[in-house]
Amino acid sequence: MGRFFVSQAVLLCLAALLTSCGQSEDNQTVDTVSEEENSTSMFAMNTYVTVTAYGNDTEAALSSAEEKIRSLESLWSVTDENSEIYAVNHSGGNPVEVSDETAQLLDFSLQMNERTNGAFDISLYPVLTAWGFTTEEYRVPDDDEITQLLERTGVEKISLDGQTVHVPDDMQIDLGAIGKGYAGDLVAEDLKQNGVKSALIDLGGNIQTVGTKPGGESWSIGIRNPFGEGNFGVLEIGECAVVTSGGYERYFVEDGNTYWHILDPETGKPAQSGIISVLVIGAEGRLCDALSTSLFVMGLDRAANLWRNSDDFEMIIVTSDGGIYITEGIEDDFTLSKNFSQPEVSVIRR
Amino acid sequence: MKNAKLWIIVAAVIFIAAIVWCVIIITKPPGEIVTISQDGETLYTLDLSEESDRTITVEYEGRENVIEIKDGRIHMLEADCPDHTCINTGWLEDLPIVCLPNKLVIEFADESGADAVAR
Repeated sequence: MGRFFVSQAVLLCLAALLTSCGQSEDNQTVDTVSEEENSTSMFAMNTYVTVTAYGNDTEAALSSAEEKIRSLESLWSVTDENSEIYAVNHSGGNPVEVSDETAQLLDFSLQMNERTNGAFDISLYPVLTAWGFTTEEYRVPDDDEITQLLERTGVEKISLDGQTVHVPDDMQIDLGAIGKGYAGDLVAEDLKQNGVKSALIDLGGNIQTVGTKPGGESWSIGIRNPFGEGNFGVLEIGECAVVTSGGYERYFVEDGNTYWHILDPETGKPAQSGIISVLVIGAEGRLCDALSTSLFVMGLDRAANLWRNSDDFEMIIVTSDGGIYITEGIEDDFTLSKNFSQPEVSVIRR
Repeated sequence: MKNAKLWIIVAAVIFIAAIVWCVIIITKPPGEIVTISQDGETLYTLDLSEESDRTITVEYEGRENVIEIKDGRIHMLEADCPDHTCINTGWLEDLPIVCLPNKLVIEFADESGADAVAR
């Protein structure tokens, strides 16, 4: 009886030890709070998308999010013959009726064009195509060709009346510089409607969060080093959107010159503003997406001026000579990586 | 009594084994398990700490990607896509290595460091 008891007790203790050890391993993946983590990944909107949701029973919300992304892609794809943007671009100059989502996005795009004094431009598609950025058959068009193509651009020639869009016959629009940001907004909204309190949406490096991490911790977002591998810093964020634009994203090299995909609407050539990468953080993905591209075109001084006249975003700018500039609103949330060679960070103040 | 001793010895052996096992799990550095997937389907799950140097060739619609494992690190060595974004990403760190044209993704299975990377 006694021996039996001893052996049983010892085995019981061992069992407890083994189980507790196993549990600690599981907990490592979901932090210290026992919240279930579910994620879904897909190739959509010309990039790699991952949506991660925390909490119980998030599977249905994730499939709804996936559906949402697919449906937005089918509305805004520039190459899909059934998309609304394709219909607008092949309208022969006739008015086209579009969905509410597309109309809202177009309306916002036109507003952003005004707010950035033309630096944000959805009508550059013919010029982007000439450079090969849409087909990946890269080439450098000569000045005459660019001048001719620029005549076929200009957001002021686009008109939007409710859900009716009118784009002149020889023009083409493309929502590539804003669509992923708006998709982030709509997917975040969709997740919330489906009861998700904590989620991270990663649309090819465009980040949008719902709530905080389980347990109220902030999300830590690495920021891609524009000069090489790895991250140059980490940003701690709550519920918001973070979008980066950089010369390293899509580019080609010809005769020793580097040509990247962010074009200056005035010259029709890759923007040479002295900026190599821009990060924009704010409540709205659509705003961050549009601004990251246009601030890159505007350069440091104009970007700082726009920020001083706004209250809906903060930014981090890296210049080609290695300077790092951060706006004061996120000064305390940013940590520079130890292995980044540039130790100085300048703070832009109001 | 003999039986009790035997039980204690058995228990001691299991106990030590359990401690060793726990130490291995706790001290094992995170972020060593890597998955290589294509269009959502996992092709390889590798433990970089145990892999010897080698290359892996993955095909997609007649196009090829060559992945290299060297000194416990992994990167895209060759790809016959036009933009070479996957090669330029360099060695795998926080952000996944993605080849869009060939729908190929190399990423850490257990996330380490940042929650995501803005890029």
